[in-house]
Parts: sequence; structure tokens; C-alpha cells
Amino acid sequence: MKLSTYNFLTSMAIKGVKVGFPLKLTINKKEEVESEFNPTFIERLLPKLDWAAIYGAAQVAELADDIPPTQPENIGENELLLQKLHHLLFEIDVLEGQLECPETGRIFPITDGIPNMLLNEDEV
Amino acid sequence: MHVDEPHKNVNSAKKADKKQRRCLAIIKSDCQVSSSDEPTIYLAVLNVGLSNGLTEECLLDATSKTGGKVTEVVMLPGKSYCFLVCSTLDDSRLIYLGMHNISTIGQQGAVAYLSYVKELPALAGKSDWNSPLPNGLIVMPDFVSEQEESELFKSISEDEGSTESGNLKHRKVKHFGYEFLYGSNNVDPSKPLEQPIPSACDILWPRLEGNSTTWDWITPDQLTVNEYEPGNGIPPHVDTHSAFLDPILSLSLQSDVVMDFRRGEEHVQVRLPRRSLLVMSGEARYDWTHGIRPKHIDVVPSASGGLTTQPRGKRTSLTFRRLRRGPCNCTYPTLCDTRQTKAPLELSSTLAEQAVSLEQQNVHEVYDKIADHFSETRHSPWPQVAQFLKSFGPQSVVLDVGCGNGKYLGCNPQILTIGCDRAQGLLSVGCSKGQNVFRCDCLSVPVRSSSIDGCISIAVIHHLATGERRLAALREMARVLRPGGRALVYVWAKDQRRNDKKSAYLRQNKAVNKERTTEQLQRQKQQQELEQLPNNTPLPVHTNRTEFQQQDVLVPWKTKDEQRTTFLRYYHVFEEQELESLVTKLPEVQLVKSYYDQGNHCVIFEKIP
Repeated sequence: MKLSTYNFLTSMAIKGVKVGFPLKLTINKKEEVESEFNPTFIERLLPKLDWAAIYGAAQVAELADDIPPTQPENIGENELLLQKLHHLLFEIDVLEGQLECPETGRIFPITDGIPNMLLNEDEV
Repeated sequence: MHVDEPHKNVNSAKKADKKQRRCLAIIKSDCQVSSSDEPTIYLAVLNVGLSNGLTEECLLDATSKTGGKVTEVVMLPGKSYCFLVCSTLDDSRLIYLGMHNISTIGQQGAVAYLSYVKELPALAGKSDWNSPLPNGLIVMPDFVSEQEESELFKSISEDEGSTESGNLKHRKVKHFGYEFLYGSNNVDPSKPLEQPIPSACDILWPRLEGNSTTWDWITPDQLTVNEYEPGNGIPPHVDTHSAFLDPILSLSLQSDVVMDFRRGEEHVQVRLPRRSLLVMSGEARYDWTHGIRPKHIDVVPSASGGLTTQPRGKRTSLTFRRLRRGPCNCTYPTLCDTRQTKAPLELSSTLAEQAVSLEQQNVHEVYDKIADHFSETRHSPWPQVAQFLKSFGPQSVVLDVGCGNGKYLGCNPQILTIGCDRAQGLLSVGCSKGQNVFRCDCLSVPVRSSSIDGCISIAVIHHLATGERRLAALREMARVLRPGGRALVYVWAKDQRRNDKKSAYLRQNKAVNKERTTEQLQRQKQQQELEQLPNNTPLPVHTNRTEFQQQDVLVPWKTKDEQRTTFLRYYHVFEEQELESLVTKLPEVQLVKSYYDQGNHCVIFEKIP
């Protein structure tokens, strides 16, 4: 699971959960993959992403120093930050770990790079 | 150039030897009959048989010229060789010496090659001709006299202008009473033709009276005349149950023909002599298909009890039927259109009650088991789906709900595509290619609301067992779309034809394309195959690559491995406008476009900005 995908995931489908976002991420095993850096792509993608979740992911991925807690203005002029964001969102692949619902504590395991967000019939 | 006679003879003998050896090898592998260097009473005619149009008469004519006596002729259907049993070794010798490399009974006067053989083939004497006729089948020979034949022929040939006539691919047809519509294989009872069945046919009905105890009508109201040139036939079919009553009558004029009756693996050949009437009733009318193979020569039983050939002449058949004007009430469901198209009564409530377990058992578990093989068959993106994905601007985020092996996830490299599916096996395929995937159910998509620019869901929601669940899946897509975001949804269509063109799904029917069989014949065969397969649902099993008979069906998937295990997948195939009407139930979206693409109904909708 790339951390760009993580940014969209929520546990709001669980009965009684209001927001379910961001999910609490745990990484047990990750690998770095190479992906072509395109500054414009990252810049234009940012409005669709949630910065708090980006920041949270950076903490867990041990890249906290790279990412500020709030989104700086005129980010398009800061190519270094865009590159760091690119690395965080597209070059970290979580192979083993888990996602935890912030409201219920329900655990969604990540196995072989695939988060299992499937809910049981009685949870929805 | 001058050629020496002796030289020519040597060549001819060499050729005969070579030919002899080659034919004997074929016969040996075909029916385990070996040649004998010493004379025996068994002779094989190596290069002429039923498949070359050899008749018993012609063969016996040639043997009698040698002075040798024959006690039995053994012709095998479909073979280019045959066997003779002689009275004594002397007879056998006379025939061999008098015919081998001499007798010109071969195709187009070719010379015949003979050989002594050690025994007769084990299969001799066993043929479809020995099976009993299907129940309800009667052939009445000499039903009309020669004079009546010509009068009947004249009556149907008159008034060219006032009856419907036309040319099908392989035969000429003409209708009286009602037009038989080949598109639907039915008649329109509200549109009688001006020309009723010619009155010349009235002589036929009194002759049926004694036989009509098993059915309740005598006078037909529809007549189809078929003209077959030699070499033409008609594919195996059953007359549409709901279109006509029982029985179907067919009068053969001008020439004999052999008709094939089939039910699954059962096959019975029936000779229809010139001027005979064929009556198909009960089982023969409802549960067996009938057809005529396109051949110039038929193989028929000979006077001596063997087989011989008979060339076909031009044949005209008069098929008399009576319109049913309502649903069929027969007790033969396999080929019954009324039965096949009628969903079981309790089905909708059962589907509602068992939707979850049905989807679990007949969708999720099946995809998990067939993932690898399924993935192999899903590689090329459908052009109009790829086109939709390419319509998104750079940096768009698109979610593929039910992404399978992820074949659409890399279609447009300028956008961020994320896929989700229920089947772990299929997700692993996509994941190994570096794609972004997660596992979920399409009824609860774990994605932030209004966060996605586009959605595709290709061949997914037809696996959901109720209308509410299919609507709920669309509602989830609408929820995750941002205002102005667009979704494309494909579902399988019940109707696999458009403008009389078959969809790719129907066109790829190997059996129908290559083996000259028909959908009905396939249905019969599969029915027998599937009787062993556990099916604890009330759903009918669809026959692959044929038209859908019902909306809620189980579609078999046969694995490629040695076991050839069959799995049954649940599908709800969509009627015209059904998908659109689901979309209109979602207040937050509007329909942008709907279309039909290769057997699928498709919609594009947009979340209202």
C-alpha cells in the first residue's frame, strides 16, 4: 500500500463511526520503490489529499523531519518539499502492518501490501 | 513421348502397393483390422466407401462381374473403405483378382484397391439406425400418391405474389397462414397472411383422423414450405414451444432425405422417404432437436440390412403447424421457451433472503478459486472504458470499484488510479504489478466521501443479488465522487444481440461456430452435464455463449486444469433501461450517457456540482 492510497481510506462504513479518518497506521515492513518524480503532478494532487493524514503517515514512516505539520503556502515553489512528498506518497510501499479505526479501534490488517478493509456483515 | 506398356504396368502395380499399404494403416488404426497375406473370406475395399458415395448396389454389381459370390457387405458410416464377406476362399480370390487395381467403382471412376483382411471390424452392424425412434415420432410412408404430390406442389407454387417468400442462407422458404419470423423463431398471431394454407392440402387431414387421438387438433393454420437444393440442410432446432401446438407435421416431396434427431448425446437418424408424412409429437416434438445435415449424399440402410448411400435430389418440405397463442404447457423443460424464460415463482423473495450467502458462495468463493485462470483471460481493456479513463485530466484520482486483476489501473498513466475488489487472489495479481489496491466490498467502500474525481465499475454490480444491493453499490460510487466527478458503470446485458448482430460473447461460441451445432443442442448437452453438479440455489444454469433465458442465472466457469472443474457464478443480467432507472433513483447524480457495448449495458453519470 502506497501512502497516497492510505490518504483516501476511512473506516466510516462501520456502524456508528462518524468520520473514521485518518486511520491509525502501523508499519511492520515496508520497502522503497522507485517512481518518476513529476513536481506538477504532486502539486496538483495535493488539494485532493488530506494534509493531516500526510503528516501522520510521515511520522509513522520515519520521514517526519521532511514534512511540516501544516501545509505551507506556495508549495509549488518549494520543489524540495514536493520531492519529499513524492517520495513519501509514491515511493514507500507498506507490505505488512495495520490500519486502526480511530473511533472503534477495529484493526484492518495490511498483508503482502494489500490492506484488507472488508467488514463483517454485523459491523455495517 | 512413347511409354512402354510393361513399364506402365510396373508403375501402376507400384502405385497400387503404396496405396494399399497406406489405406491398410488407416484401417488398422481406425478399427483394428489387419491385412492377411493369405487369402481369407474377408475382403477390404480400401479406398471407396460410404463417405465417397459408394452404394451397395454398385459394389455388388462390380463383384458379380468377377463371378465371385458375396454373402455380406459391411459399410461403415463416414468411412472411405468397406468390407465384403465372401462365400468361399475361391469366391474371395475371384473378386480380389477381378477387382483389385481394375474395378473403377471409386470416386469419379477411380480404380479400387482391395486387400484380404483377417477379420471384420468389431463395430460392424452397430449404427444409429438400430436405435429406436424418439417417442412420439411417426413416419407415414406413401402418405400422398405421386399424382397428389404434383398437385400439392403446383398449389404451393402458384400465387407467387400473394404469399411471403424469401431466401434464407441455405434454402428457399415460403409461408402460408402466418409468416414464420426467423429473427424471433416465432409467429405474430395478430398478423395472418392474406394467403391461407392452399385448399389442395385439405386432402391430408382426413387421413390423420385415426392417429389424432394423442393430440387435440387436426387442421393446421400455418404452413412453411422449404425448398432444399441437394447439399443443403437445416441446423438442429426445436420448433419454438410457445409458438405452436403439438404435433408438428412435415410432408416430404420430390426427394428422400435423412433427418437427424438429437437429445444430448442421443442421436437417431430417420429416413424421410419422398411422399411420406413425418409426425413429431410429445417427446419428439418438445425434447429432441431435429435437423438435416448439409450433404449431397445420405447414408441409409440397404435392402440387405447393411448401409448404402443415396444421392439427394431437390426436396420440398411442407411443414404444417397450428399456432399455440399462449404459453407452452409441456412437460419437457430443457428446450421450452416458456419454462426457460419464466423465473421460479419464489425466486425474488429467495434472492432477497439469501443475497449475502448466494454472493458469498456463487461469487466471492468462485472468484477466489478461479482467480489465476480468470486473470489470464482478462488482459485487454475494453476500448470505450479506456477512452473514459483517458478523458480525465492529469492528476485526477480515479477509483476502480471491482478492479479484478487491475487491467484498467495502468490505462492512463497521467492519473492516480486506485483499485479495490473483494477477491484476494485477483488483488494479488494487480498488487504484484505495483498497482494501488485494497480489499473491500463494493457495498461499503472505505474511501472518504466526495474525494474522488472519477469512478469505474466494470462488470461488478451484476453480481449483486437484489435491486436494492445493486442500487446501494451505485450509491457508494456517488458518495465517494466529488461534485462534478463522473462514474462509468458496465453490467452484462440480458440481450446479447443488437441490430441483429451477436455480441462478442455469443460470437465466440466455438461449438456453434465450428461444430455446426446449435444453442439448443448445447443446452441439452449441458443440462445433462450439470445434473451431477451441486446447485443448492433455486437458480437456473445458463449455457455459456448462448442467449440468456432469464435475468438471474448461474453461469458456469470451467477451469483449464486437468480436473476441468465447473464453478457456478451468480449473475443478474440487466434488461434495457434497468441500469438507467437505478441511476435516476440517486438524487445526487445525473445521467450523462447510456449505451450498449458488446453485450453490456453502460452508463456514465455525474455527481451534481
